[in-house]
Amino acid sequence: MRKVLAAVLLTLVGLLILAGYAFQDFLAPVLGMVTGWGLVLLGAAFLIGIGYLLRMHILKLFSGEKKTGMSAIILVAFFFTLIAGLVLPTGSQFFSDLILHIQVPVETSLLAVLAVTLFFASLRLIRTRGWTPLSLGFLVSAVISLVLESGVLPIMPRSPADQAASFFNRLPLAGARGILLGMALGGLLVGLRVLLSIDRPYDEE
Amino acid sequence: MTWELLGWVVIGGAALLVLLSLFLRFDKCYPIRKLPLVDGLIETQAAAMERGEERRVLLGDRFLPLAYPGLGWHGLSALSSFLSQESGVDGGLAVGTADGSLAVFARQIVQNRYRDGFSPLLHQEGARTVLYGPTPLTFTAGLLPDLVHRPGGSLALFGHYGPEAMLWVDAVGRKKGKVFAAGGSLAAQAVLFLSVKDILIGEEAFAFPLAHQPDRRTARQLLTEDILRLALILGLLIGVGMKLGGLL
Repeated sequence: MRKVLAAVLLTLVGLLILAGYAFQDFLAPVLGMVTGWGLVLLGAAFLIGIGYLLRMHILKLFSGEKKTGMSAIILVAFFFTLIAGLVLPTGSQFFSDLILHIQVPVETSLLAVLAVTLFFASLRLIRTRGWTPLSLGFLVSAVISLVLESGVLPIMPRSPADQAASFFNRLPLAGARGILLGMALGGLLVGLRVLLSIDRPYDEE
Repeated sequence: MTWELLGWVVIGGAALLVLLSLFLRFDKCYPIRKLPLVDGLIETQAAAMERGEERRVLLGDRFLPLAYPGLGWHGLSALSSFLSQESGVDGGLAVGTADGSLAVFARQIVQNRYRDGFSPLLHQEGARTVLYGPTPLTFTAGLLPDLVHRPGGSLALFGHYGPEAMLWVDAVGRKKGKVFAAGGSLAAQAVLFLSVKDILIGEEAFAFPLAHQPDRRTARQLLTEDILRLALILGLLIGVGMKLGGLL
């Protein structure tokens, strides 16, 4: 009974939201209310998720495991940020400096590590995927894009070389659009399956 | 015809096809495509279970990614399809995410399986639901030490994630673990193509939960996806033809 009720409720709310896009004049107030409820629920779920995170680090800290220093740092940083966020006013210079001078550099350094990892992964492409048409195509198009984007080739505007470069520049765009169209199709079907209660991961038997 | 109307026609047509696929039995005259990579993942998971190694399933960093709608649900559907295989072993499954709501839903899915009587080992002690960090990069910072200190047999990536997934894959690769990827943003798919052999790209990623548990119902859903894919290709070709003919 509980499962049927959940499925019916989900389908009704989903159809209501979908209808809200078609009949905005009539359903705008209801749509706003339901979306608001959804956001509150998502916010509550997010808080529970943060609770999981804290629980994991607290348990790790008191479990007697080795290398728990990071958990201690995370907990101290979390409670410091939480208290600072609650006490300090919105737009506090100290709080924004804290974010700008600690979090942003740390995240940027992680991105720098990512760039190096990417470089080495691209060198290992053939070893990973072998000499397949797909991997060769990927490699050749990456090299062509790098050369064209670097601007080292002296290409005169409106010359045949310029047209060829423009053609090669559009190829990755076409590929990206193809993948995005495929993902949109997949997303649409997943949405419809959930909306019509065909796919119910939350209470599947 | 406006673009908005065209959108409604596509949604309506797809909904009709999904509904029809529930009642019509047109799957006998059409060979259902197989995804060999999914079979490979099942084998990898089974091998990791036999060796007593940890299996990790990552559900992504967002439940509702605006640019890629459906990826959050895709992760949850994928998790659900994993649990049947996991229900017979003594724990060792870690479900990671960077979104609190995904963590809650994932835990609910695992607990529902537990309540349905599949296995008490799928309770929290058996299947860990971990929120490594609330943003993509804090998630990476939280996950990487776990991947290094508790090396697992397999890592399966679902849902929405960015190019930082490359760091996770690299860490797993160093410990000789196997990686399977389905989903992710466009940038993530591009960078993972470099180093992940078993990767599902584009709409194939969304077929994973269906292909993982092949039966008559899921086969028909896969067929629906194929029909829509064919319709999309035809639409694109017709559009190109009309553009070349000067009609568009």
